[in-house]
Amino acid sequence: MADLGYYKMHALIVDDFENFRGTLYKMLMDLGIGNADSAATGEEALRFCKARNYDLILCDNNLGKGKSGQQVLEELRSTNNPCSDSLFILVSAESSKGIIMAAYDYEPDAYLAKPITPKALDQRLSRMIEQRVELKAALAAQKAGDDQLAIEICKELIAKGSRHANTCQKLLGQLYLKRNEIAAAEAVYRTVLDNRELEWAQLGMVKTKLAQSDFLGAQQWLENILQANPLCMKAYDLQAELFKLQNDSEGLQNVLQKATDISPLSILRQQALGDVAQQNNDLITAANALKRAVKLGENSCFDKAEVHSLFAQTTIDLFSIDKELAKPLLREAIACINNLEDNFGKTNLRRVESLLLESQLQVCAGDQRRAQDALTSAQASLGSTKDEAALPVQIEMVRTLRLLGKTDEAQRHLNDLLHQYANNEEQLQNLDVLLDEPRSEKNKLMVAEINKKGIAFYNAKDFTAAADAFKTALQKLPNHIGLRLNYVQAMIDKLKTHFETGISEKIQQTFTKTSAIISQQHPQFQRYRQLNDVYNTVVRTYEKDKRG
Amino acid sequence: MSSSEQKTGKTDHGQMPIDFSFVLASSVHDMKNSLGMLLHTLSAMMENSPPKDAEQARFFSTLEYEAARINGELVQLLSLYRMDENTMVVVIDEHHPIDIIEEQIARNDTLLKSRGIEIQIDCDSDLIWYFDNELIGGVLNNLVVNCARYCRKQLLVSATEENGFLCISVADDGQGYPDNMLLGPLPQTAVSFSSGNTRLGLLFTRKVLELHNTRKGQGYMTIANNGPLGGGVLKLYLP
Repeated sequence: MADLGYYKMHALIVDDFENFRGTLYKMLMDLGIGNADSAATGEEALRFCKARNYDLILCDNNLGKGKSGQQVLEELRSTNNPCSDSLFILVSAESSKGIIMAAYDYEPDAYLAKPITPKALDQRLSRMIEQRVELKAALAAQKAGDDQLAIEICKELIAKGSRHANTCQKLLGQLYLKRNEIAAAEAVYRTVLDNRELEWAQLGMVKTKLAQSDFLGAQQWLENILQANPLCMKAYDLQAELFKLQNDSEGLQNVLQKATDISPLSILRQQALGDVAQQNNDLITAANALKRAVKLGENSCFDKAEVHSLFAQTTIDLFSIDKELAKPLLREAIACINNLEDNFGKTNLRRVESLLLESQLQVCAGDQRRAQDALTSAQASLGSTKDEAALPVQIEMVRTLRLLGKTDEAQRHLNDLLHQYANNEEQLQNLDVLLDEPRSEKNKLMVAEINKKGIAFYNAKDFTAAADAFKTALQKLPNHIGLRLNYVQAMIDKLKTHFETGISEKIQQTFTKTSAIISQQHPQFQRYRQLNDVYNTVVRTYEKDKRG
Repeated sequence: MSSSEQKTGKTDHGQMPIDFSFVLASSVHDMKNSLGMLLHTLSAMMENSPPKDAEQARFFSTLEYEAARINGELVQLLSLYRMDENTMVVVIDEHHPIDIIEEQIARNDTLLKSRGIEIQIDCDSDLIWYFDNELIGGVLNNLVVNCARYCRKQLLVSATEENGFLCISVADDGQGYPDNMLLGPLPQTAVSFSSGNTRLGLLFTRKVLELHNTRKGQGYMTIANNGPLGGGVLKLYLP
């Protein structure tokens, strides 16, 4: 035992039960561990870990209120602190599998099942430390950024038949991938796979294929893995990466949906699903995923202010197309936006942003008085700033004024902004979300291209492809009436060929949204009315047929 | 229920059949948490007031053993439920059999010591194989606990490679398996496991072995009497 250096080690015990901490402390002392501190909560443990380096952290996963053991691990591994590579044992009364499913990228060095016996702890510790000692030089080289040296050491260990050759091969593959030596990484994984179909090596193969932009190859490996193990979360994460590289946002949403259905507890997957569903204009999926992400963020180091704002914005957008779907989310959205400053620090812009989002949410909740109060406070705090950093908040201001029915004031504000940024292409792109016709060159070009593409599909009677094309542009230009009506027209023709309730609902939602932004003087108002009539006829005919 | 109600996805909860296995699983989960607290309080109690005489020590050891056994069975029940629901994650990787053998023996250290059982391990410490260490560890734990109950004073756990399979064998110096267990296709027998246990352990073992399959074949088990220590011997084979 002593030759493994137990006496030099400083350990940290994290458990919410005092007598369990005592028992573990005694066990560690009996084993000859030099020093041990105890923490009752995850938050306390993280404070300790910021202050000094621990060689070993024994952390219960279920710590009652506050952070879980997994969340403590995530924060230690993903942030800069003296314990980022401490040996971490996650203690759990459950089997480790449930925790693995929820985990995103960070795994502990070992799991230990409760109840813990002194003998079991000793056995596990000596095994871990023996491995640490064997790999010490390689890990030190990797930490110092000398990947080449780490590779050499791994190769030597494998060549001399180390007991931990398997771990060395895993590390070697990662190192080659990091150095972009794809062929070498592939050789490592192939060697392993020639012997046995191990999941980690198959996942490694996917990474080499992605690095080579061999998307078909990556997809084939992923299918193999998921066929053998439909619960392999790492495979879903790589599949998400594959769709991202291919700019396939529908595919990306599908795979994230699947992954979060299987394991709803990963905040990063929920955030990603919320993001992509919002881009895909699937507002109900987005709002619900973002709601879960906000909830999971309570104790997570991965929580972000943008996710909270996006949840509020998506809820407001959802309300504009379907009040009933949005209503159950309003209370939580308001609570989440009210806490924005408390959770992420006080700044003036953040305060204005939260007030403006609150104002819009209060309109949705039917409380005009509170909405007006929030708007007044926001206007007072914002003042008449010309700061470019304030533009996102000023865009939110225009939206709020519009939603409160202050159309003229909104237009004046917008005109000021357009005037201020008339020669600023980048900021014009941002302002385009408020406009019927884009002002930035980039978005003008995009509308022209999408219209050309969409109309070509439409003329070829591929209504689905046409609708998809218009839809992607609508997310960037939600107030573009021409695009919106093109989208509706394609959807109506799709509905005519085959009646589906889902499509009909989407059309209905688009009309609701259009009616809120179109004025009777708009040049396309006639067309809007006509399309509305056509749609109503299609629905009536379908219902008559169904009855008859 | 009208068709329009069905379309909007509104279902009558009063008419939904109870998913009894789900109810059972949640309640097992809860029981397991309580039992964890119980086991933990028990060990704290033993620490605060150590047994005064041999009789008290025996009581404590019985309490601990029976609670640990319930805990083991609940874990198996939950695992079987997950397998049935296809939510069981199986992660096959390279492991050293010696590690999981030592782990299970360490886990049951108190039990083995209190019964005065001497354990021998026969396993090359460099031997490597491919399996899900948590699942096989669970199976092995059951075997050790059961043997500890039925053997006299010796237990031999060994691991070797046999015809391309890893063979983990657990042999004891007890009376051996009853005849009706030795006959017929093993997993289907309706007889108790290691005389006295329910069939749960057997079912769990069978399911875990089934989950280990490769082109070479599937995992399986055999039992026999007149083993190396004179009693029964159970062998797990993993491809």
